Amino acid sequence: MKIKKKWVVAFLVPSTLLFLFVYALSLVVLLVTSFTQWNIGQEIKFIGIQNYVELFTSTVFKAAALNTVKWVLLQSSVHVLIGVMFALVVSRRAKSWHARFARTVFMIPNIISSAAWGMVFLCILNPKFGLLNSIVRLLSQEEYSQNWFMDPKTAFLSVTMIWLPFAATVALIVSAEMTAVDSTVYEAASIDGATYFQTSVYITLPLMKNAIATGTILSATSMLQKLDIILMTTNGGPGTTTINMPLLIYETSMRENNYSLASAQGIILIMMGLVSIGIINRIYRMNKED
Amino acid sequence: MKRIRNYIVKVPTFIFVGVIIVMSVVPILWVLVSSFKLNPEILSSTFDFPTGLHIQNYVNAFRVSPIAKYYMNSFFVSITATVLNLVVMGMAGYVIARASFKLKRFFRAMFSLALLVPGAALLIPLYTTIKAVGLYDTRLGLILVYAGFGIPTTLFIVSGYFMAIPRELEESAYIDGSGFLNTFIKIIVPLGKPAFATAGVLQFLTCWNEFQFAMTLTTGHESRTLPVALYYFKSAFASDYGAMFAATVMISLPSIIIYILMQKQIVTGLTGGAVKG
Repeated sequence: MKIKKKWVVAFLVPSTLLFLFVYALSLVVLLVTSFTQWNIGQEIKFIGIQNYVELFTSTVFKAAALNTVKWVLLQSSVHVLIGVMFALVVSRRAKSWHARFARTVFMIPNIISSAAWGMVFLCILNPKFGLLNSIVRLLSQEEYSQNWFMDPKTAFLSVTMIWLPFAATVALIVSAEMTAVDSTVYEAASIDGATYFQTSVYITLPLMKNAIATGTILSATSMLQKLDIILMTTNGGPGTTTINMPLLIYETSMRENNYSLASAQGIILIMMGLVSIGIINRIYRMNKED
Repeated sequence: MKRIRNYIVKVPTFIFVGVIIVMSVVPILWVLVSSFKLNPEILSSTFDFPTGLHIQNYVNAFRVSPIAKYYMNSFFVSITATVLNLVVMGMAGYVIARASFKLKRFFRAMFSLALLVPGAALLIPLYTTIKAVGLYDTRLGLILVYAGFGIPTTLFIVSGYFMAIPRELEESAYIDGSGFLNTFIKIIVPLGKPAFATAGVLQFLTCWNEFQFAMTLTTGHESRTLPVALYYFKSAFASDYGAMFAATVMISLPSIIIYILMQKQIVTGLTGGAVKG
């Protein structure tokens, strides 16, 4: 069976056009305009690396880049750890109804619109009627009105808690890999008298390396796209406590109309993604096994 | 001794899973319950159940904002973008899985490249190209962008599935005189249904939940989708918390329903697509 060339071409043209329109063209525009000066309603002018120079001397950019890096690090460590632990714990009774219930419920925060999830947290942490402050008030019987999102001391932590614990995707990927492990491996371990904890640490986890690496990459790169939650809750504030790269790009382009500077920020965001993926791959040495 | 050791493992495990479940479900349940409360109740009695099923908040949400229009837009954009994505990537996925041609690896790599680009970086270029081609503030603009975002995921799921289909089915169809297009439509597409369902659900949820481009590629009410509505609710209903709760519920509910109905597809999509990718 040989598929004729004309059909191959015909079947690849629509997807290629879509790719060119959404990605290829965009990347070219992004790269080229990042070396120009281009504000709304002005002529485009080539200015070399001036945008990048401007960025690296800007304190807002530094804050946004630093926060993004912090979130990437937190997400690829704590978040992944939570997901892996959940997968290990739940896999003990994988088929029972409570394991299935736990997995289903854990997924909800990942499945609904993150704008809605941000809104939920905005309400939960509301100083007046929010659930958290009400619980504290009930327990302490005192007036308590911590403004979680507006207090510089708690803003970063509050935003982080909107995504850090909800590692269902990582858990899912690891669980799927676990079911693929030959059960005789576990039987052998149990005959040798290994406890569940020992089996998990010495047998299961090493076998899960690729799945954990994939989960880590997904978790890390998801932190490069969090605009909605931050716009819904803190708007980057107070000051620049919770600003990240997507919000910076949004503000620079949509509010300040400085398109070329936003392009340079976009290029740096892509670089951050590539570097994160590179580092994670190196840590887990994924390429060796391929 | 063994029993004590058992408890040392079990108690922390139980607490860990318990905390996670509470954190995942209580916020949503609290918002759901509160959405039936009157505004004074929301402010005064956080823990109490509402004094009755007050659907006033939902009525308000519909009356004060064009949320019905946003709902329509969300459904229209998500469904159309999903169908477009499945058709286009189904075709590409099939020839990449089956045909042998020189540039096959190139195409695979090119489409996978999309995974490396954070959507936030594309804000300016997509904003300018969509404006340049006259699709700013149209649903078609959003549809094209969303269909593009699903390129790598759908390709992995669909081509992976096609590769697992035995070739004999197509070969016997060809021997019977069926042409390429006919074989694709009559045999391959029906066989690939599970893969299309998986990729389709993921794609639909992505479109339904997308915020950044829904916000920047549209203006006014004509083409905006639900997540953006929520952002405007935040300022428009600064003190009408009930309506805010109601809107949050209305936006989350379709995703939750789809998830419960299509759980199997979502799980295979997320794991299969991710692990193999």
